[in-house]
Amino acid sequence: MDELTQALQENWALIAPVLILQAILMVVALIDCFKHDKTNGPQWIWVLVIVFINIIGPILYFVFGRRND
Amino acid sequence: MMKQWGVLFKKEWTESARNFKWLWLPVVFILLGVMQPLTSYYFADIIENFGGLPEGAVLDIPPPSGAEVLAGTLGQFSQIGFLVLVLAFMGTVAGEKSHGTHLMVLVKPVSYFNYLTAKWVHILLISLSSFVIGFAGAVYYTALLIETVPVNNVLSGGAVYALWITFFMTLVLCLSALIKSTAIVAFGSLGTALLMSVLSMYTPDLMKWSPGMLSSHSQMLFFSGNAGDGFWVSVGMTFILITGIMILTIYLFNKKEVAGHTE
Repeated sequence: MDELTQALQENWALIAPVLILQAILMVVALIDCFKHDKTNGPQWIWVLVIVFINIIGPILYFVFGRRND
Repeated sequence: MMKQWGVLFKKEWTESARNFKWLWLPVVFILLGVMQPLTSYYFADIIENFGGLPEGAVLDIPPPSGAEVLAGTLGQFSQIGFLVLVLAFMGTVAGEKSHGTHLMVLVKPVSYFNYLTAKWVHILLISLSSFVIGFAGAVYYTALLIETVPVNNVLSGGAVYALWITFFMTLVLCLSALIKSTAIVAFGSLGTALLMSVLSMYTPDLMKWSPGMLSSHSQMLFFSGNAGDGFWVSVGMTFILITGIMILTIYLFNKKEVAGHTE
């Protein structure tokens, strides 16, 4: 485990953008989810999906969770 | 005529901005593109830590070449990337139809040609720029972590793959215009793309003309800078098919809508 953490630390500058992009995806999905009163399905489930399923959660919300009216 | 096209195009634009498509599609492609070089680079470390190897076992995996990593990236794009693109755009026409919003557009004297080509250009702009930015991320990370691949190979391979995406998105728009159910649109376009790639993998001699050859051509360009046999045949055929599919779609859509209104 030490070796991997060490290897990751050496290239922190390369890992950081990945984490930042994931965070952007999550935050935008969350803001949009809270802003709309109606979602397809219960809102609190979408919040859980967005927060706990990495990358795929926000995408699922954007595709299936939003109501376009 | 041109003015109407501009209005329709702008409508698509504001809609995709509201849906955040301009944000999440590029982000997904960057993540996909960057993941492949990262996991290839850390592969040995990851296996050592989580692979459950016996104590003291020495793992000697030759590091992949830059071309291999880029080819792997395109593999990710073809699977997850295409799935995401379909999910984003399967409702382009079909979704509007089920909401009835397309009637608001189409009761006015709007030409079907303008309606569909505005959507087509818009879809291509988003998906191709997502691909370009994701692929640029992959090339950058590959150069940093693994090795640089000759610029000419990268550019030509990327351009050929962009043509394959163009063909695929044309197919998505076509099915979306002609079929009501978005599920069938998604399965139909993904299935066709999969079938084309598989057929061209197993019977390359029969499938020389097929657009399905394009992704293997682009991978060969990464490795050697030269495309395989029949490269220009499949490129030419892809252009012909894209034009043909668009003309056919506009014709059939026109016919269907006119029949629908007079009923």
